[in-house]
Amino acid sequence: MFGQYDIPIRIEQEGITISVQKEEENFLYRRECLGESVEKILLAGPTKALLNPVEPVNKPKALASHLLIEFASILQVEPKGTRNIFLTFPVEIAVYISTNEEFEVIDTFTMSRQKFTLYGDPINGVICKYWKSSIYPAKPPLNHMEEGFIELAVTNTTASWVEVTKAVFNAYGMKIYYDDERVSMKANMKLKGGGSAETEFIEDPLVEGMTKSLEIYTARKLSVTKKKFIMEFGL
Amino acid sequence: MMLDKVLYHSVTVFDLIVVAIILIIAIVITKALSLYLKRFLREKVTRGHLEILVKVASYSILIVALLIILPLLGVKLSGLLVAGGIAGLAIGFASQSVIGNLISGLFLMVERPIAIGNVVNIDGTVGIVEDIRIISTTLRTFDGPFMRVPNQKIFTANITNYAQNVARRFEYMIGIRYSDDADKAIEVIKKLIEDHPLILINPAPMVFVDSLGDNSVNIVASIWAPATEWFGVKMELLWKIKKALEKEGIEIPFPQRVVWFANELRGGELRDSK
Repeated sequence: MFGQYDIPIRIEQEGITISVQKEEENFLYRRECLGESVEKILLAGPTKALLNPVEPVNKPKALASHLLIEFASILQVEPKGTRNIFLTFPVEIAVYISTNEEFEVIDTFTMSRQKFTLYGDPINGVICKYWKSSIYPAKPPLNHMEEGFIELAVTNTTASWVEVTKAVFNAYGMKIYYDDERVSMKANMKLKGGGSAETEFIEDPLVEGMTKSLEIYTARKLSVTKKKFIMEFGL
Repeated sequence: MMLDKVLYHSVTVFDLIVVAIILIIAIVITKALSLYLKRFLREKVTRGHLEILVKVASYSILIVALLIILPLLGVKLSGLLVAGGIAGLAIGFASQSVIGNLISGLFLMVERPIAIGNVVNIDGTVGIVEDIRIISTTLRTFDGPFMRVPNQKIFTANITNYAQNVARRFEYMIGIRYSDDADKAIEVIKKLIEDHPLILINPAPMVFVDSLGDNSVNIVASIWAPATEWFGVKMELLWKIKKALEKEGIEIPFPQRVVWFANELRGGELRDSK
């Protein structure tokens, strides 16, 4: 389903219906997914449409710019050690259209569960999109329309064992890749002293040949300076 | 000597050089202070307010420099001070509230108990902060009208800022009949809370039997939501809870009294006479 299409289009897959059809002088965009339907009249002559996974922080409302993944089991990391684990994350899909090679997002939708949480205290904390994931030692088999996976390199820079129960990521720095079977990201998590950690995404596909997503914050040309996140309210 | 040469009255070339040095020092201090203020307060106050603060600080230094320079240039301040003192007294009385508001405005800009767009309660007046100016602040109350509040009043008032924190808690008290299953009711409410996307996972919501009231078993639901969304969630959820409880056969009771009679009812006497 992900990829670039010539307009007009009609896609029906896994309960999702997307169409951009000419209607008199304009184009009509329609999308249905899990009982939610959207209809928009496009006052332009779009030539291409692009569907790809984007930062999972836009639905049901763009309230947060961080993603908190709670681990289903507690992770103990050895002193001065680095280990790679796999986590899942919710997939949100954006529909872009283009008239002159520049893509603009017109719709986002998701088939994943929507929930928010607070990381930190109500005064200094941050509202995050919430997701609970098991910890996998290898790439888990997933429905790529609903879930993607993050290959997370956890590095313990301290001289003692560190217990980790969650990871918080800044959505502005997400680098999402996809192919016909999976959606993935790569990230680092450096555990530091005092119960803090630093997370950041790596601009590198999990497997050669995967396509880089056009992220929403890139498409909107937002200048993003902070891509890392410092977890200072506990692990 | 050249430096001792009198130019007019008792003002010498040396005095002029001192005046020039004082002016240069004052200008350098002004520039340095404005740079420091801009750097230090850049993230604490808005750009417009920062400009005002910098101007106030700069002009204050220049006025002090002027007061030092004038006697060196042969201007006697004693006469000016007498005239200025009387005028200042009059102006001071007249502009007491203006100055008070101005200073309060400066403190508000630095302390920032409220910001534009915040929902606040200032001494009982609830509204959205539209603008914070140097003398006054404007609020838009929820029924529409704009309200201008002098900064001095805001500075001394009790302020509740509903948007200062990123998350906010709200509570419902739901009464159910004594004959209903409270555990089942709690389960139904918890399910609704879990399914609502805007209710936060952490801090965790709490649902528990709070009290055994006169007419009902009272269940409290304590829920956290993002500060920008809490009111919408609060409005939406209560009716959903009511409908979900009713669907499970759990009802919210009316006030009721059980009345015991000391003697049997008159109906009983009539039955006996037959």
